[in-house]
Amino acid sequence: MKEAKKKKPETSIGVSISALGAFSVYLITGLFLAVGFWVVRDKYSVDLISDPSLTLRLLWIIEFPIVVIIYSLFRRNPEKCSYFRAVGRSILGLISGALINALGAVSLGAPIGMQSLPKTIHWSFLMSVFTVVPATAVFGASWADWHRVFASLKPTGNIEYMILIPAYGATIGGWFGAWPMPLDWERPWQEWPICVCYGAIGGYIVGQMVSLSLMILLRKHKSLKLA
Amino acid sequence: MTTAAMTCTRLTIFTVAGILLQIIGLSIFVFGFFPVKPTLSGVSGSESYRDPFCDSSLISNESELHHPEKLRLLYQELSGISSKYDRLILMVIDGLPAEFVLGKDGKPPEKVLKESMPYTQSLLANGDAIGYHAKAAPPTVTMPRLKAMVSGAIGGFLDVAFNFNTQALLDDNILGQFFRIGWKMVMLGDETWLKLFPGLFMRHDGVSSFFVKDTVQVDRNVSRHLPDELNSDDWNLLILHYLGLDHVGHTGGRNSPLMPAKLKEMDDIVRTMHLRAMMDRSHDQGQTLLIIVSDHGMTENGNHGGSSYEETDSLMLFIGLNSNISDYASATNNVAFQVDLAPTLALLFGVPIPKNNVGVLVPGTLCSFRDFEQLRALELNSWQLLRLMLAQIQSSSFPRVSCNCFLDGTCEGLDLDISECSGDKEKQLICLFRNAAALHGIWKSKKSTESSSTMEDFSRALDAYNTFLKTASEWLASKTTEKPVFLLGLGVSAMLLSCFICGTVFLSLFKEVYHEPKDRVCSLSNLLNLEEVFIFALLLILVISMGSSSMVEEEHYIWHFMVSTFHLLLLFKTAKSFKISKGMNILRDFKFGSIFSLLISGRLLRGWHQGGVNWTYLPDISKWLVQGGSGYVKWIQLISIILVIGLGLYTLFRTGSNRKGVRILAFGFSTCGFLVLLHVGRYQDELSTGFGATVTVKVIYYLLSISSIGASLVLPWSALNKDKSFLAEVGDCLYLIGSAYILCWCLLQQLLQQPINSGPILLLLLQILAILCLSSSDFQVNEWVEITALYYMGMAGHFALGNSNTLATIHVAGAFIGISSHSTILSGILMFMITYASPMLFLLSLVMYIGANLRNHSNSTISTHRETSLGQILKLKLGFPCLVPLCINSILLTAYTVVLLLMRNHLFVWSVFSPKYLYVCATTLCTYIGVCIVAATVTYTFYVTTFLRSNRTRHNNS
Repeated sequence: MKEAKKKKPETSIGVSISALGAFSVYLITGLFLAVGFWVVRDKYSVDLISDPSLTLRLLWIIEFPIVVIIYSLFRRNPEKCSYFRAVGRSILGLISGALINALGAVSLGAPIGMQSLPKTIHWSFLMSVFTVVPATAVFGASWADWHRVFASLKPTGNIEYMILIPAYGATIGGWFGAWPMPLDWERPWQEWPICVCYGAIGGYIVGQMVSLSLMILLRKHKSLKLA
Repeated sequence: MTTAAMTCTRLTIFTVAGILLQIIGLSIFVFGFFPVKPTLSGVSGSESYRDPFCDSSLISNESELHHPEKLRLLYQELSGISSKYDRLILMVIDGLPAEFVLGKDGKPPEKVLKESMPYTQSLLANGDAIGYHAKAAPPTVTMPRLKAMVSGAIGGFLDVAFNFNTQALLDDNILGQFFRIGWKMVMLGDETWLKLFPGLFMRHDGVSSFFVKDTVQVDRNVSRHLPDELNSDDWNLLILHYLGLDHVGHTGGRNSPLMPAKLKEMDDIVRTMHLRAMMDRSHDQGQTLLIIVSDHGMTENGNHGGSSYEETDSLMLFIGLNSNISDYASATNNVAFQVDLAPTLALLFGVPIPKNNVGVLVPGTLCSFRDFEQLRALELNSWQLLRLMLAQIQSSSFPRVSCNCFLDGTCEGLDLDISECSGDKEKQLICLFRNAAALHGIWKSKKSTESSSTMEDFSRALDAYNTFLKTASEWLASKTTEKPVFLLGLGVSAMLLSCFICGTVFLSLFKEVYHEPKDRVCSLSNLLNLEEVFIFALLLILVISMGSSSMVEEEHYIWHFMVSTFHLLLLFKTAKSFKISKGMNILRDFKFGSIFSLLISGRLLRGWHQGGVNWTYLPDISKWLVQGGSGYVKWIQLISIILVIGLGLYTLFRTGSNRKGVRILAFGFSTCGFLVLLHVGRYQDELSTGFGATVTVKVIYYLLSISSIGASLVLPWSALNKDKSFLAEVGDCLYLIGSAYILCWCLLQQLLQQPINSGPILLLLLQILAILCLSSSDFQVNEWVEITALYYMGMAGHFALGNSNTLATIHVAGAFIGISSHSTILSGILMFMITYASPMLFLLSLVMYIGANLRNHSNSTISTHRETSLGQILKLKLGFPCLVPLCINSILLTAYTVVLLLMRNHLFVWSVFSPKYLYVCATTLCTYIGVCIVAATVTYTFYVTTFLRSNRTRHNNS
């Protein structure tokens, strides 16, 4: 903690965000996720179980722009890096993140086959929106930041909490979400990638809540220390 | 900390004591949980119509009586019972609870159910039918229940387990008896019958119970033949097995909306059969008996397998017995046992009762017999049970009685008074039988003299027989199902104690290992690192998942998922340390490469066989290859054998020391590889039955054992290198021996496994080499984590080779490769080797691992200040790695034993949990063997090298 505090003045070059701001960001992203579900149900009258591939596609297509638009506001070095550049690199991040997520899922046992290919692709795009896209929008290709936040788990500043914890939440949630798949309950949602999606979304939301509470806690901590 | 200093000898003693305790506990538990009842072999013949106390060696010319018709007449003459029936229709309605037809506790069934079976209910009300609640024994699943019905025996679990290579029912059974007297049989319905009785049926149309969702077509496929069969007159036995009702239950439970319609369908079939087959036949043709049975009931949810009342309450309904029952209550309110069907059918149709039958004649079926026939039937049943009892209790407790003494009343020591029977169970049973036989004798003698009180004597004899039969049947049945609580408790507590001992030893050693080499600050931060937590959590997850039957069925998912996650964690860890040295140096590339090869090979292994129970139909690589044609499989096999040889030679030559030994090993190894290639190329198509194939395989066996044993014995003596430290020398030597072990094992598996598994063997070898490469490249993962990971990967590989927790997946055909004469022991060993190929491979790789570890650490701390104490080095470098798999296995075994004990009344205890327990026991055995080999090899190498060193120093000094 001490170390993090020391570092803070150096690294927070971007726009900082308060806990309230983070909350509103979460609210907007959550709202758009809900909008995605609503569109899927009311306009296309399908859901995750009956047509996972279409649902996931709509979800990430709706969620992606809003995440990019919001997180690009908090990009590092706003002077050097224009807003559109941040948007552009986050599109790259979307694709590469999807690739990483898809590879990870396949290595953990996601089915490979023509039937499940679109599901895997759209699932990994959604996962990429949750995990990699905010980070690319903010950090760009700065390996040091990536490593510090994701590998060493030493986030500084609220925006990094907002990137790190929901991303890990989504990943861990997805990992746990795969657990019911081998059980013989014969429920339709036990198919790949439905319950993994539920797990990921659940983990994402839990991650958002945890990061929010961490921000509030740390701020109190800090103000206590300052006082 | 001071108490933790444990000497090597004490460690060994504690470990061995723990293991011995575990073995003892395990055997006590297995003995208690799976009682093995003594059974009589052979088939009942005409001797079953003689008194068991009479010397039955004077068997008549039965052996010459091959002609079925003659045999039938002989049986009829001997039994003295005239059979009224000549045809039998056995209608099996899978999963129908008797409650649906007969009601419960004297109350009629629910209105909706009763109304959906109008014809059957009218038969019951008229007294044309008599129904029984036939209690079925667990496991209430179809195949064992059919066996029980036709053989009258309740099989123990191990009977099932030991007969896994054949599903055919080899015990004496009623269908076999019918076949012997020349009956023509027709079977329509569940194909289980065809598996049980191959070649017995004149006509058959089997349906599969695979598509549980199908509730309509499965029964139509049976009924479509019914009109033809009822018209034709050429059969004696028609078996109809309807699966639809069970499927309705499985999909919708007892109260499924489909249930009334299904019952109506069954009722229509009953009506058709009753009207067409029984009413239409003219009287001179003999009569047809229609029996409707169900194999088991179902729970509220429609499941079955366990021992609750709902599941064991199966139906037995006789139609056409001409019994004079007029009221509904007495036609429905009867209780029997499922096994009673076999003796009843045998006596009704005049064939000997199957040898291992424990059932008794169903009382109400006797009404159509005359008095003397009734008593004779009971007598025959008693004789058969008595024979079975004689086989189960030691003959000393029997009074030696001579032939016919019960009948004549002239045997000494036995007074003719009808005594109150008491004392222990065996004596009581003999006494009851004596009473019955005596009363029978009295009735007979009085009847011949036409005395007055025959009716009273008759009912007394009848009662006496029934009492004996009931008691004897219960006693015999309890012999096969009772579980001695004391033995179970003793076994479990011994295993718990041994688990505790192993855990304590491991922990004390753990403290020692992780406190000495590293300083405390470092170990504190390492205390909670991710892989350790994960590996430990995985153990917990495994233990928890054992309690769920579907997780036991689909266990491979856990292993593959967790092992892949572990590999991903390794990747994460590597990526984490990536920053420290900027740029991509070769070492790190190697690391990434190893991890990626672990991940890729892990994914391929996972996809190779779609194992388990519920999703076996999903596509996998092996199915894909097989569909592609045998050419692909052959190519895969050849390529993987060549690659195994290549990888093996590369590993051998990469060790870089002891050139001569390496060359000899490489030569032997490539010869073996060449021979395996030859065998695969030439002989595998003809299923290795030819002489040449057997010789080749035997040569390969000898060569492989010579090169592996020779390597472990000779290599330590030849390793002499002055400028290396002691540990480095031992490490080199062990690395070489270890690689010889795993390469020989891989080649052996390439020979034994089914061709499709050659790919996974190669991938497993690749995984071992990758993880060794990782551990030798200064990877910051603790030793115990790596060894545990090896164990886990071995288990994942076990499932990747197509194994599962059902006994059906054991590859039996491989167990006869290279064996010229039938030998159960050799085949068993081969089968064990095939099934446990992967765990054994990973355990053997421990030798290599220890070697690599010694070599790496030879420069570091231990070698400098601990050169003197061999025991200490052995303890840290051998004892610790050996304890890890032992401890994991001990925990898993003990946990699963407790789970099995808790699940003893579970639905699937016999179908899911018990087979898994056999696998767990075999894994334990595999772990013991593997660890023994590792320990022996490493100790031997250490002592030889020490001896050589001391010799050399003595030479130098002198």
